[in-house]
Amino acid sequence: MNGIHDVGGEHGFGAVTTEANEPVFHGQWERDVFSVIGIYFAAGLCPLDEFRHSIEVMDPAEYLSTPYYVHWLRAAENLAFWNGLFTPEELQARIEEIEAHEKRESA
Amino acid sequence: MDQITRSDGYTQPPPYVALRIKAIQSLLVEKGLVAQDALDEVVDIYENRIGPKDGAAVIARAWVEPEFKARLLEDGIGTLAELGMTGFEGAHVLFVENTDQVHNVVVCTLCSCYPWAVLGLPPAWYKAPQYRSRVVLEPRKVLAEFGTTVPSEKEIRVWDSTAEIRYIVIPQRPSGTEGLSVDQLAELVNRDSMIGTRFATPYEGAAA
Amino acid sequence: MRLLQANEVYDAIRTPTNFTREETEPPRFTVGQEVVVRNLNPRGHTRLPRYAKGRVGVIERHHGCFVFPDTMAHGKGPHPQHLYNVRFTLTELFGDHDGNAADTVYIDMWESYLDPVTS
Repeated sequence: MNGIHDVGGEHGFGAVTTEANEPVFHGQWERDVFSVIGIYFAAGLCPLDEFRHSIEVMDPAEYLSTPYYVHWLRAAENLAFWNGLFTPEELQARIEEIEAHEKRESA
Repeated sequence: MDQITRSDGYTQPPPYVALRIKAIQSLLVEKGLVAQDALDEVVDIYENRIGPKDGAAVIARAWVEPEFKARLLEDGIGTLAELGMTGFEGAHVLFVENTDQVHNVVVCTLCSCYPWAVLGLPPAWYKAPQYRSRVVLEPRKVLAEFGTTVPSEKEIRVWDSTAEIRYIVIPQRPSGTEGLSVDQLAELVNRDSMIGTRFATPYEGAAA
Repeated sequence: MRLLQANEVYDAIRTPTNFTREETEPPRFTVGQEVVVRNLNPRGHTRLPRYAKGRVGVIERHHGCFVFPDTMAHGKGPHPQHLYNVRFTLTELFGDHDGNAADTVYIDMWESYLDPVTS
């Protein structure tokens, strides 16, 4: 698809920003996202190309305005929906449960 | 939660991320699809066990053993298999060698393909649109941003990883390193030199 | 998806996927041959980058026969094809650029992305 991911030769993204002594992960959320995709790969959930496509179908504005592992977050949920691991409704319900639980904990 | 503000304007993570990924993990574990300790294990493997040191050892050996380097260039994946360095994002590997005439640099313009099996996970800049868009269009400018100036008479070859072939650069061996051991040489093989955005680290003990 | 135990993860990620397949047809192109990239715009997944469409390159290497991403991504099977590495000059890709005329970009391309250059 002629998608937002196909950036080769585009202008306007600015200078490359590097980070000295960059850690493998920048926070627990990156580990959490990586672990789900890592297990999808290790367990052979789907072809690698299906994973790539699950990122390509992201909202283009979100693709460009978020750090890399947000792309993988969207892949983690899209691949789960496409492969019947859970439904969008189940995910939404679980998000609300955890949110409510965390509110009670912090209250 | 750790917050990192990048000078390129990315503030991470967006507010919805932590909750969504927790919910995803929780559903997968509850449904018996994924084991929690397997999630921890895959993080540990790539955070602590597989990384650029693996690739650096291979490059250093190639610098001192011409026969080994010839095998790497001829049959990268077969040679890596003997060292146990194959697997995910590393099923097919081609080594490309920097010379006095050629400087190689690797990118994946369409996503973030990278030889995980030999170098571990890629740095953030490798996966960012800044690098991916520009290194095919203006490689010399991008390399200059890394402090890497390639002489104009040298050809730059950019390798765009659009298939399952993973490219790894064999950087030129720094001068004044004739007496060093393979382990000492491996210290000079920085991660970026195997992507091609930097040269190998100069040897500080070299005669000026 | 099979349930992986923690002690199975390392072996699983060290086991490479085989993306190659037996050749059933001879390759259409040979090393050194000029090819032009087709102007394909599929709605689904493809590994043909936009910046190479319509450009002329030279076959640098024949990798062998590989599964085809454009069908693999959509559960439509491997449909293996010959895979080539194709060399392009920066000038061919981007016209009159401010780089070095000798600089090149090498892109891996499946056979159906390419046409022969007819003179």
